[in-house]
Amino acid sequence: MTAFALKIVTPDGVKFDGMAQELVVRTTTGDTGILAGHINYVAPLGMGMATVVVDGVRQYAACIGGMVSVVNGAVTLLPTTFEWKDKIDVDRAELSKQRAEAVLADKATADTDILLAQARLKRALVRISVAARKP
Amino acid sequence: MAGVSTKEIKTRIRSMEATRQITKAMEMVAASKLRRAQEQVLASRPYFETLYEAIHDIVDCNSDFSSGYLVNRPGNKALYVVIAGDRGLAGGYNSNVLKLVMSQGNNEELSVLPIGKKAMEFFQFRGVSILETGYCSAADISMGDCFTIAKKLCKQFTNGVYDKIYIAYTNFVSVLSQTPTILQLLPLLRQETGREGMSNSDVFYEPDSAEVFEKIVPEYLGGILYGALCESRASEHGARRTAMDSATQNADEMIDKLSLEFNRARQAAITQEITEIVAGS
Repeated sequence: MTAFALKIVTPDGVKFDGMAQELVVRTTTGDTGILAGHINYVAPLGMGMATVVVDGVRQYAACIGGMVSVVNGAVTLLPTTFEWKDKIDVDRAELSKQRAEAVLADKATADTDILLAQARLKRALVRISVAARKP
Repeated sequence: MAGVSTKEIKTRIRSMEATRQITKAMEMVAASKLRRAQEQVLASRPYFETLYEAIHDIVDCNSDFSSGYLVNRPGNKALYVVIAGDRGLAGGYNSNVLKLVMSQGNNEELSVLPIGKKAMEFFQFRGVSILETGYCSAADISMGDCFTIAKKLCKQFTNGVYDKIYIAYTNFVSVLSQTPTILQLLPLLRQETGREGMSNSDVFYEPDSAEVFEKIVPEYLGGILYGALCESRASEHGARRTAMDSATQNADEMIDKLSLEFNRARQAAITQEITEIVAGS
């Protein structure tokens, strides 16, 4: 399969810079697959699993927020957080999930706190589901 | 006897030594914080740069101006997000960036969103209108806060409260050199450089360009804000380390000079005493 230049950069540093054969990310409108020779493209990212195929090997990651762009064949993925499957801190995600659920269960919570807790819960669920995925 | 008494010189040496101890300690603290901040800057810089490039690639090839973020409004209400430190004793770090802001906007209606206690005090003292004082501690602003601020800025901009939004921060060039910088955040600037081969027609926006900008611009601002904050923090520690290093050196020099003076004065006292004894016998 033809490879294309892929760059994954987050505020914590460069996560990937090299050639890849396939990229699947969750955009706000759903999962999008990108292969070599894609049209120039811009989309904001949602929360979900990202799949990168490098030299025929599938790698999974939790990818949250940010944007993906294809400019003249070069793909740039700029997520707010991006964690490879084996780097995910499951305990922390589990803890964050429990805390968020506790906030949501409490009827006295303010609306803004509910939104925050929902976002936190979603992030935690994405991380847990990616980490639990069988290779 | 040489002008000053030995006792007086001794007190001055003592106080100098105390000062030296403080500056030395501050230098060490700044150096260790600098190392951490420097790592953070090096990690976040690629993101900062790639984000900036990606957004400008998109902006340059967008020609339908469907997004409010691209429109240059004629108004002159400007908001500056000013990032400075929480504490002084960092050489010119605070004053450089604050002065740069004050030198701008001669025909603009100036408002600021200060980040860092020094910035807040400076603008409060000068009676500049302040958007919010909630972010006065630059040291504990997290990435989440940056995105919250970014969303707020975008809202204010689209509602027409401000016509232009800038960010003033200190760019961390190296440990010894930091330059205050002003960057225009909104509206997004188009570079009229005539880039090859891309027009709006062959960029595919999903779901559509207005929506994409709506979603991406707050993220972009948040990212830039966070990057600028990292740069500023590293600059602050760098500037403080340099300032404290030279303060320690000055104290050393002063102590040396005073010790010499002290020894001279003591010797003069002894000589005088001997002379008196000899003269008396």
